Amino acid sequence: MKIIYLPFILFLINLTTVNAQDTLETKKEIKPEIKYTTATFKTTRVVNAQSVENPQKGVLIFLIQHRFGALNTGAYNFFGLDQSTIRLGFEYGITKHLAVGIGRNSHLKTFDGYVKYKILRQSTGARNMPVSISYYGSADITSLTWADQGVADRNNYFSSRVAYTNQILIARRFKDLFSLQLMPTLVHKNLVKYGVDKNDIFSLGLAGSINITKHTALNIEYFFVFPNQMYEQFDNSLSLSFDIETGGHVFQLVFTNAKAIYDSGYITDTHGKWSAGDIYFGFNISRSFRLSY
Amino acid sequence: MTSTKKSKLIGLVGIAAMIFLLSGCYYDKEEILYPHSANGCDTVNITYTDHIELIMINNCNGCHGGSFPQAGIRTDNYDDLKTIADNGKLAGVVNHQSGFVPMPKDKPQLQDCELKQINIWIADSSPQ
Repeated sequence: MKIIYLPFILFLINLTTVNAQDTLETKKEIKPEIKYTTATFKTTRVVNAQSVENPQKGVLIFLIQHRFGALNTGAYNFFGLDQSTIRLGFEYGITKHLAVGIGRNSHLKTFDGYVKYKILRQSTGARNMPVSISYYGSADITSLTWADQGVADRNNYFSSRVAYTNQILIARRFKDLFSLQLMPTLVHKNLVKYGVDKNDIFSLGLAGSINITKHTALNIEYFFVFPNQMYEQFDNSLSLSFDIETGGHVFQLVFTNAKAIYDSGYITDTHGKWSAGDIYFGFNISRSFRLSY
Repeated sequence: MTSTKKSKLIGLVGIAAMIFLLSGCYYDKEEILYPHSANGCDTVNITYTDHIELIMINNCNGCHGGSFPQAGIRTDNYDDLKTIADNGKLAGVVNHQSGFVPMPKDKPQLQDCELKQINIWIADSSPQ
């Protein structure tokens, strides 16, 4: 053997020695790992409703949401595409568990702000948690002037502009196949119309996401508002979306009978029947920006 | 404090703040806050004598008046009507609330305006 190979061989021997030492030490330190479930849903929204997903810590998500007019307005109105309402919003992950968001809807010129906190995460391994549970709280404020609401001639209160939504999101991902989410919800409206209307409106949301390919999924979402809370006729919101995930974007192609994008709107203020073609096509686009680590 | 514990603490404080904030709110009803007339329905100063008596005559007293009022309930005089207004039965039946037998029985619900006036009257503590 040539002498020039000697340092190389010595180096290799050194390496093996070091490795042996490492293995001995790391064996003492190995703790059973908790394997947290990720990607229960592709993004922070199912369709209109929130999912258990948060923006990561230090990540800012810019969200553009459109809802066009109803499909049954016919060909002359290009099946609703001629009209549209929009929501622009930002959401930010303050910590691994806590996210905040803010947005503005063109529908009734409503501002919304919210907080979402991950209470439990689905996991296997050292700790078995069958579901992910999050708390979600939001406030919607309509900024339409009293004159634009047709009520300028009476004594109006700022509180009458505000509605709050509280939700517990309970979700479970079933392997790589599909995910389900249950959303018991309480919407509080400071001002309701009739004496018999309830200000606290309880409903139950159910959502699912079916993985089609690695980058696409089909989402469905339904909110059942319990009866005898609101005097006026209303419809429960049923929404579908086709999610496409690419790079830092998630595109969701949406079909829904709800005109509003903010919580108190789509949950309690939906007037539209799928069977009658009161279906609003729209989309959600989210783009992630990493602001800090 | 570790960062996990810190974020959990922020979260719990945040939730507490939200719940506190979100529960300090109002229970306003437009109909009661602003009893102004709209579409010709009188919604100001609703009294038994001026408004409710006539609604009862037209819709209720046929069964709930006379010698044998149905279910022992009388609507054809102020005192008896105020009793069921105060105990919530009147509101329950005319508004077709869950758990109450809808009234007028076997007939369509009362007209919008009549319902409004009864609800306002009950909310005003049923003045004579």
